[in-house]
Amino acid sequence: MLARDAESLFWIGRYLERAEDTARLLDVTYHGLLETTAAEERAAWGGVLAAVGLRGTFDETERPLTAAMVSEFLVVDRDNRGSILASVEQARENARTVRGWLSTELWGAINSFCLQLRGRNLKLDLEFQPHELYGFVRRECQAVAGMAHETMTRDEGWRFLELGWHLERAAWACRLLRVRQGQLASAGFHEWVGTLRSASALEAYRRTHRASMAPADVVAFLLLSRTFPRSVLHAVRTAEESLTLLSPPHGELSRPLRLLGRLRADLEYAEVGELMAGDLSAELIRVEAAIAQVGTAVGLQYFTNSHEFDMHTLKVLPGEQWAS
Amino acid sequence: MVGDLFREYRTEGFFDEVFTPDGEVRDHYGALVERLSRFDADDLARRELRRDAAFRSQGITFTVYGEGEGIERTFPMDLLPRVVPADEWAVVEDGLAQRVTALNRFLDDLYVGDRAIVRDGIIPWWLLSSSDGFAREAFGVPVPLGARVLVAGSDLVRDAEGTYRVLEDNLRSPSGISYVVENRVAMTRLLPHVFANTPVRPVDHYGRSLLGALTRVAPPAAGENPTIVVLTPGVYNSAYFEHVFLAAHMGVELIEGRDLVVDDHVVYMRTTQGLQRVDVIYRRIDDSFLDPVVFRHDSTLGVPGLLAAVRAGNVTVTNAIGNGVADDKAVYPYVPEMIRFYLGEEPILPNVETYLLWDPEQRAAVLERLDQLVIKPVAEAGGYGITIGPAATDAELAACRDAILADPRGWIAQEVVSLSRHPTLVGDHLEGRHVDLRPFVVTSDTVEVIPGGLTRVAMKAGSLVVNSSQGGGSKDTWVLARTAAEVAAEEAELAEAAEGSGLSGARSDATIEAVR
Repeated sequence: MLARDAESLFWIGRYLERAEDTARLLDVTYHGLLETTAAEERAAWGGVLAAVGLRGTFDETERPLTAAMVSEFLVVDRDNRGSILASVEQARENARTVRGWLSTELWGAINSFCLQLRGRNLKLDLEFQPHELYGFVRRECQAVAGMAHETMTRDEGWRFLELGWHLERAAWACRLLRVRQGQLASAGFHEWVGTLRSASALEAYRRTHRASMAPADVVAFLLLSRTFPRSVLHAVRTAEESLTLLSPPHGELSRPLRLLGRLRADLEYAEVGELMAGDLSAELIRVEAAIAQVGTAVGLQYFTNSHEFDMHTLKVLPGEQWAS
Repeated sequence: MVGDLFREYRTEGFFDEVFTPDGEVRDHYGALVERLSRFDADDLARRELRRDAAFRSQGITFTVYGEGEGIERTFPMDLLPRVVPADEWAVVEDGLAQRVTALNRFLDDLYVGDRAIVRDGIIPWWLLSSSDGFAREAFGVPVPLGARVLVAGSDLVRDAEGTYRVLEDNLRSPSGISYVVENRVAMTRLLPHVFANTPVRPVDHYGRSLLGALTRVAPPAAGENPTIVVLTPGVYNSAYFEHVFLAAHMGVELIEGRDLVVDDHVVYMRTTQGLQRVDVIYRRIDDSFLDPVVFRHDSTLGVPGLLAAVRAGNVTVTNAIGNGVADDKAVYPYVPEMIRFYLGEEPILPNVETYLLWDPEQRAAVLERLDQLVIKPVAEAGGYGITIGPAATDAELAACRDAILADPRGWIAQEVVSLSRHPTLVGDHLEGRHVDLRPFVVTSDTVEVIPGGLTRVAMKAGSLVVNSSQGGGSKDTWVLARTAAEVAAEEAELAEAAEGSGLSGARSDATIEAVR
């Protein structure tokens, strides 16, 4: 397939997952902080921005560090390319360029999600009904995902979409844990319930661990569960599957596949006890960095190949014109 | 009987597509008007809302250039379809095939032939060589099958007598076929019942027709299964939806210039598996942007070296380079002569009466009666730059006169054609609105005219400007599959059969399905 189309599909997956996970993170943070002091609140929002890697960008906008301002920055601000609105708009723009790869239903779902989001008064929603807004974003993202699952041929295009989707999901699952592990010592029952809920994991967790809320169990579940679809390990495994199917069946493993395989093995054989005893935060950052490395390697492998003919380096001398 | 919807409708002396001057419904609209009469305005208004929602959610849009990046708009489709009877269409079909065949012969004669038409004194050489669309770069470059105009979209109007006339030819990248197909899809969903008893010729095979033609013009070395792509300027182009549509309906890649590289006069596209050779490029980019080595050096839409690859015969770029010379409005008046010259036939479809302003006599006569004519720039598309004399202010006419005197080659004048009108839903009632028709003609070793085409509607009362970029709308266009005589014969046959089987004389739904 066309390299640019592959890249667009990859990014559609990433952008939609990003929008959904941003909504999840904001929802749980916002509602978890309603009963805290202003100072605690500031610290928590600072933590959110740090975890998503946008602290610096936020500070440049010279907004005060409040729930309203951070939410606005992460939801509505088009200058923040990571905001929900910008992500969904970029997903749509990418979808427009690969219409031929998408079913009518899938394109329609992405398009009308974007148009609905644009049509809402987002600032008013953030002030008066943030939970409804985040729920809307989550539902629309899931509707798109469902549409993709049910209507797309399992071809190369699908693999790139899946790959983007799950690499992004793995990264966000790490971020969610990082936001929480900052408060690990103080985090109590309600915080962990909120964390699990934001990952749509509460019911699944309870079926495994009943009603106990041991931090190690929660971390193990969100990081290492082999069966829960929003855990880091599950997302990594799904991404690896897509990447395997994109690679030739024989011959050497590609670099992105080697990187991803190594990460998957690390997670698969990890001991939660060791993780909790060691520096969990550093470990989560390491996992996130490894995911980012995979993303870069995928780009080099599939999106910018044929480097010897890079148009930007092709020199055309005026004297070579054959017709003047 | 004509119901509520049509009660207040007046043809106001114009040629009306639906009603005769006596106010009778024309035969080929009979079944449709009868069906529509059962709807009331509210009902249609509800369907309009559904139509808008459907077009928006599917992103069936075009982009209007304004400040910045442009605005996406849907192309409003009026809910009343236009109906063209089979025998009327047969004339249009023959006329268009004849015209496009002659235009192809002309372009081939000009670029790879001995320019017989110039040599024989029919068209002056200076007129051709001074055209914006003229491309010296295309000299000596043959096009497989001589199909230089692979896709044509000539605009037809009907005058006060109902005669179809060609208003202009679009021989470069005519747009609109996607709306033809999407309008039909929308109509079958929004008003399925109006199709009953009306055998309409389908239009959704366009992708297959185009793909077939593109396959046949591939370089011989490409083999049985050439790699075909659609080349678009990108997502901000006004016709981007159409480009997506074309690629999707053919099942080929939609590419941009940056996806291509040329090496050793061979064109490749960048894929996830490396470079893949490209054999045929259906381009939707103007000549001047195709290859920065040859044309505009600042263009990033095309690909360096493409022209050399075309000249080497390694890739077919279509529509061919240099076609613009044949749809230059100052060359248009010569098309009937081209038909006589190349085909030895009389033109089936007449032109609109047109005056060449570089000719001193014609210019003088035109300047005398500027306020009665339509003045058009020869190289513009999309309805830009037109002055409609009867509607222009004195200042506009003065400006127009100055422009003509400054560049007589750059303008033509045409008699105002009283375009036919068609009932069109305006708010809660019907009003007559002027319409034109852009049929699409696909040429390779054969010439195929897609039945119908894009009927464009001037949405403003009294306006003659139907262009989408000027706020025009569109109509689904039905070409009836059979003539009235054929329908009558079939009905008689059915009645006879029904008598035998004990069924009533009415046609069963199954028959209607079969006919559609």
